[in-house]
Amino acid sequence: MDWFPLLLSLRVASLATLLAAVFGIGGAYLLAKGRFPGRGLLEAVASLPIVLPPTVLGYYLLVVLGARSPLGRAWESVFGGPLVFSVSGAIVAATISALPFCLRTARAAIEQVDPRVEAAARTLGLPEWRVALQVTLPLARRGVIAGVALGFARALGDFGATVMVAGNIPGRTQTMPIAVYDAVQAGDDARAGTLALILAVVAVAVLLLVNRFSRVGV
Amino acid sequence: MRQLLLALLVLTTGCSAQAGEDGPLLVAAASDLGPAFTELGEAYERDTGRAVTFTFGSSGQLSQQIANGAPFEVFASANEAYVDDVLEAGQGDRQSKAQYALGQLVVWTRPDAAQAGLSQLGQARFRRIAVANPEHAPYGAAAVQALRSAGLYDQVRDRLVYGENVSDTLRLASSGNADVAIVAQSLAAVEQGGHYTEVQPGLHEPLRQALVVTAEPERAEAAQDFADLVVSARGREVLSRFGFAPPEV
Repeated sequence: MDWFPLLLSLRVASLATLLAAVFGIGGAYLLAKGRFPGRGLLEAVASLPIVLPPTVLGYYLLVVLGARSPLGRAWESVFGGPLVFSVSGAIVAATISALPFCLRTARAAIEQVDPRVEAAARTLGLPEWRVALQVTLPLARRGVIAGVALGFARALGDFGATVMVAGNIPGRTQTMPIAVYDAVQAGDDARAGTLALILAVVAVAVLLLVNRFSRVGV
Repeated sequence: MRQLLLALLVLTTGCSAQAGEDGPLLVAAASDLGPAFTELGEAYERDTGRAVTFTFGSSGQLSQQIANGAPFEVFASANEAYVDDVLEAGQGDRQSKAQYALGQLVVWTRPDAAQAGLSQLGQARFRRIAVANPEHAPYGAAAVQALRSAGLYDQVRDRLVYGENVSDTLRLASSGNADVAIVAQSLAAVEQGGHYTEVQPGLHEPLRQALVVTAEPERAEAAQDFADLVVSARGREVLSRFGFAPPEV
């Protein structure tokens, strides 16, 4: 049994979830509290990864980040290797896929927080950033954690975007979902079944763990 | 929460070893080469002591990925034209381009169905006929050409279902979702059970299978070794056992 795809999947999904959580929660706070023109449009655009088929998303990421694009060249000149068809490429694909789940769920949770509590904190002299970190986010924590868990699930399961951006290179960019696909293609039903079962067990275990944490509190 | 973050940290810092200078040779190969190249890969590993990793897919998709910077070091296509695409994108060594085989198209039927040839595919009992996507899979393009030459295309057109590549196409039929598949002999020959009938090569453009070295200069020698093995007498012997004809001279 080759454990590489599982380890890679866990690594890609956790890093992608971390990135999606930072940008998603930050963006959610901005969308919930900010009053600026184009807010609705921004949210709609940020939700595109849910709406677009993953392969279409992957295709556009490949176009935007590919070796011949300006962004792809800039990445290569900084990091010395192309972004696409690498683990970093897989992480970017999974992050973009997971982002809207973190963002939308967190925004709804932040908007539910009673503004009077935040106002009370302000009257006690807390600066705005401390109100956000110490009052708003802790009160919205259930929803925020639920969004991050959804994002993780999406990142772990991504096939379409990842296979377009990072390819299917065994031992390098072959994540669990891609390994399952590869085994089916090769007619190896036993391997496909084993891999799918392991992926399902790991996903359920992680989500159970997250559930427990969100109940207990932070 | 703290344990969760700790676990995350371990995960993200661990296993970051990348295939670099000494990593396995990365070979992108058309799906019809799966069984034959797996055997040649073992021979290569024995000869050179270097590991080799295969990515099988449709030639069109693989050439597209290489043109976009995928780090494959040898590209073995089912069709010469995709090798030329890669060269045009400036990703391969023109001198290393070589034809290594001619592909043979067959009609494959499941063990529980009677053997059938191309000319019988018009019969109503074949409700779904699997072919590889002719847009980017050479065997699919050849299958459609053969159906046209046999005057059957208009009759069967609505019954065609497309596989992503030629091994996916065989999977459509072997899983019972299509009644018959037009695939590579190299895959039909190793499929457990089932029957196959060769399609007359004259019905389609020859499947001139060609390869090219696409490695970075410092790894070109290792890549060329694999390419040489494929076109050598030994490589040809393995390929012929899996139903490939030798290339035209």
